[in-house]
Amino acid sequence: MSSPLPPVRVEKALELMPELEALAPLRALLISIARPDERALWSSSGPYLTLGKRGVDPDELRRRLPQALHRIAEHVHVLCKTYLEALEARQRGDSAGVVGALVRGGRLEEEVGRLAQARAWYELALSVAEALQDRRPEVEALRALGYLCLRLGQHVEGARQFQRAFALAEAEFDQAGTIAACEGLGDVALAQGEWGGAQAWYSRGLRLAEASGDEGQMGRLERRLGVLARKQGDLATAGDFLRRARERFEAAGRADEMARVLDAQGRLDAQLGRHTAAAAEYREALAWAQRAPRAPGLELSIRLNLAELDLEMGRWLDAEGELRRAEQVAIAANLAGRLAQTYTLMGKLRGAQQDETGFVFFEQAIELARAVERSAAAEAQVYHAYGLFRSQLGQQDEARAYLERARELFDSLGEAVERERVDAELRAMSA
Amino acid sequence: MTPPIGMEPSPLPAVPRKGDAARLRILVVAGEGAGSAALHQSLRQWADDGRLEVDAAPDLPRAVRLLAGQRWDVVLAALGERPDEELAWWVDALRAATGGPRLIAAAQTPSMGLALRAEKLGVLDVLALPLRRDDLMRALERLRSAVGEATIPLPVVEHHAVGQYALVGQSPAMLDVYKLLARVAASTATVLIQGESGTGKEVVARAVHLHGPKASGAFVAVNCAAIPENLLESELFGHEKGAFTGAVTRKVGRFEHAAGGTLFLDEIADMSLALQAKILRAVQEREIERVGGTDTIPIDVRLIAATNRDLKEAIKQGRFREDLYYRLAVVTIRLPKLAERGDDLLLLTAFFIRQFAERYGKRITAISDRALDLLRGHAWVGNVRELRNVIERGVIVANDDTLRAEHLPDEIRGEEAALTDRPQGGLLTLAEVEARYIARVLAHTNGQIGAAAEILGIHRNTLTRKMKEYGL
Repeated sequence: MSSPLPPVRVEKALELMPELEALAPLRALLISIARPDERALWSSSGPYLTLGKRGVDPDELRRRLPQALHRIAEHVHVLCKTYLEALEARQRGDSAGVVGALVRGGRLEEEVGRLAQARAWYELALSVAEALQDRRPEVEALRALGYLCLRLGQHVEGARQFQRAFALAEAEFDQAGTIAACEGLGDVALAQGEWGGAQAWYSRGLRLAEASGDEGQMGRLERRLGVLARKQGDLATAGDFLRRARERFEAAGRADEMARVLDAQGRLDAQLGRHTAAAAEYREALAWAQRAPRAPGLELSIRLNLAELDLEMGRWLDAEGELRRAEQVAIAANLAGRLAQTYTLMGKLRGAQQDETGFVFFEQAIELARAVERSAAAEAQVYHAYGLFRSQLGQQDEARAYLERARELFDSLGEAVERERVDAELRAMSA
Repeated sequence: MTPPIGMEPSPLPAVPRKGDAARLRILVVAGEGAGSAALHQSLRQWADDGRLEVDAAPDLPRAVRLLAGQRWDVVLAALGERPDEELAWWVDALRAATGGPRLIAAAQTPSMGLALRAEKLGVLDVLALPLRRDDLMRALERLRSAVGEATIPLPVVEHHAVGQYALVGQSPAMLDVYKLLARVAASTATVLIQGESGTGKEVVARAVHLHGPKASGAFVAVNCAAIPENLLESELFGHEKGAFTGAVTRKVGRFEHAAGGTLFLDEIADMSLALQAKILRAVQEREIERVGGTDTIPIDVRLIAATNRDLKEAIKQGRFREDLYYRLAVVTIRLPKLAERGDDLLLLTAFFIRQFAERYGKRITAISDRALDLLRGHAWVGNVRELRNVIERGVIVANDDTLRAEHLPDEIRGEEAALTDRPQGGLLTLAEVEARYIARVLAHTNGQIGAAAEILGIHRNTLTRKMKEYGL
């Protein structure tokens, strides 16, 4: 029997695929089925395996194609049904129903990572909603747009949408809408490092939620306030908020929220130096995530935090194991941004081991951030970590060059807090 | 929520030691369905004569919470509607649990696929629901048999230090390697080292360098397979600032770093043909040019290359330059697989135990007979590197002066179940043997059907059909 041809490396396979929107599902499938070459796993290059070095067997891609096409057809089918719901709502004169259906269409697109398409649905929903007397559908469309902007790193634009949602909801005495807008405004402020603003918005939302007795919104806002307090260094307050959120969600059996709050608790305990407690909280968070509706992003977040904890404690074998599991989740779910984050941490791990070849992880992360995720913010984060890696190895010229690139990117994005962090490192290097 | 069956448990070791009454602590996680009460009821009835202490948790998250603070010997988990996925989560959750409890998974009509996956993951057993007393007791008996582990003192190991590494082994296959190494080291000849992954190619390369005329120079290793192809050239030859996007500073390449010493090109078969041509030129002309540079830089390095591939086959397939092969393979050292090294396995095990015990501040002086049997029976795809990894993990979790079976990774402990646990002491059916073997080969090829079909000597379509048939 002739020996089978070896699989094609992902880096080579992607070179052959034109950057066409129509081929995005094929690209996603190709990445999700890529496997490490079995011979490479235990070879000396095994520890440095990245997505690009995984292999794809054309035969397997061909075999899995019907499955992927089925999923695409299903997605289009649901989108068409959503449109029909909007059409039927229009027929019976239910404009709020039209907006609701269009926003649902956008959410469906967001779920599969088609953010530009999601924006088109939301903007359409907003234009319909703006003509209505009832302003609640408009609040809903604005909130959806606000979160989309936040996801895209467009903070100013996101804040504008939430501000409009807030003003409208308040004028309409729409309590739930007002609370949600407060939450969104707090999230934007937190993302921009404006902690005072975030505190004000979350607290305002929490007061309203307490008045309306909405346990779910109270718990979510308490978790956010807990995260914020941790970032501000007020660890006792953080613990208090997180405990309250946890009690609320556990009583309500909200698995996804339990996972989030335990993840936040883990970070708090890690910051307090209570490493064993933090590890136990991350483990429990993972167990709750398993019970929640499938959310690979949440699972990844927890695994990366767990890996960072292992790294901090010098448990390199455990850190590596967790990072490899995170890598697998990110690849299977086609989460390029998170994969870049995973590789950045792997690079950091190699830096801690004084292993120069670890630079391959940063190179792969930059490529993913640039070519797949198309996120300047993600690219900037990688350059920042890459600079620190080079500095750790005593390569100061390269370190400086990478940090300057990170500063340039953060500057272009208006990320003042991050820029300041990089500046401080550059100053320390010159001193 | 199901009320706990037992009261506050007292801490006990995860695996009973000799002389212990072998009363096992078991944590039952049966969900909240209708079968849950029945399962708890059964366990309560069997507790006394089965020498069990039974506690309960309602679900995975609450079980994880309990396991973070207390020790159980066994977790009995009833799997729900997605048994494969749930099994993977359980294994993940128990990885870090206090005392390393073993998992028994219970499922309604478990498939053979589930049983085989469980075996690969090191699960103690997969039982059918409703649970039968005999099935559970048989699974627990296997755990109790761990009491009978005898200890073997670690032998004294003569090793040859190579920097921070060492050459360990006295097998005839290794003695041949040492003899050749001694002969070739004294010259400056280019050396090609061939051997499977993890056989120690870099250690041998370092030994050649340290015993050669360029020992006072640097030993610079480059892993050609680890570095992206577009960056490998500049890694090797260096680049001038601005030579390409990302060339933020001038960079001195590895050839220059190795001046007066040895350049070790590992996994050389993974290099592109274009780069092979540049290496050939460097070897022939003894000079290089940086990427984007115009100056010719003379080089004085000894070159050692290594590969785990069959280069002659690669030449036939047009993937490797024949002229470069003959330039590199002036002397070829072939390293044996771990399986060909006989009792070296015990020496390597002892060496690594001592090395990691020192690193992690432990005192381990023996290995149990069961642990050694498991190590001897394992198919070491990654050879010495894999063994080293297994021992390091084992030393980290070991809590007394002996490395035992319980300290080995689940995948290796799982192999013990396959060897010893046959229903009623009976034999396997032909289908079971076939399914198990296919599962093992697929695990070996990391799920690559083409490669597995080749090993099994069957057509890939036949393999696909059988995988479907056995639920793999």
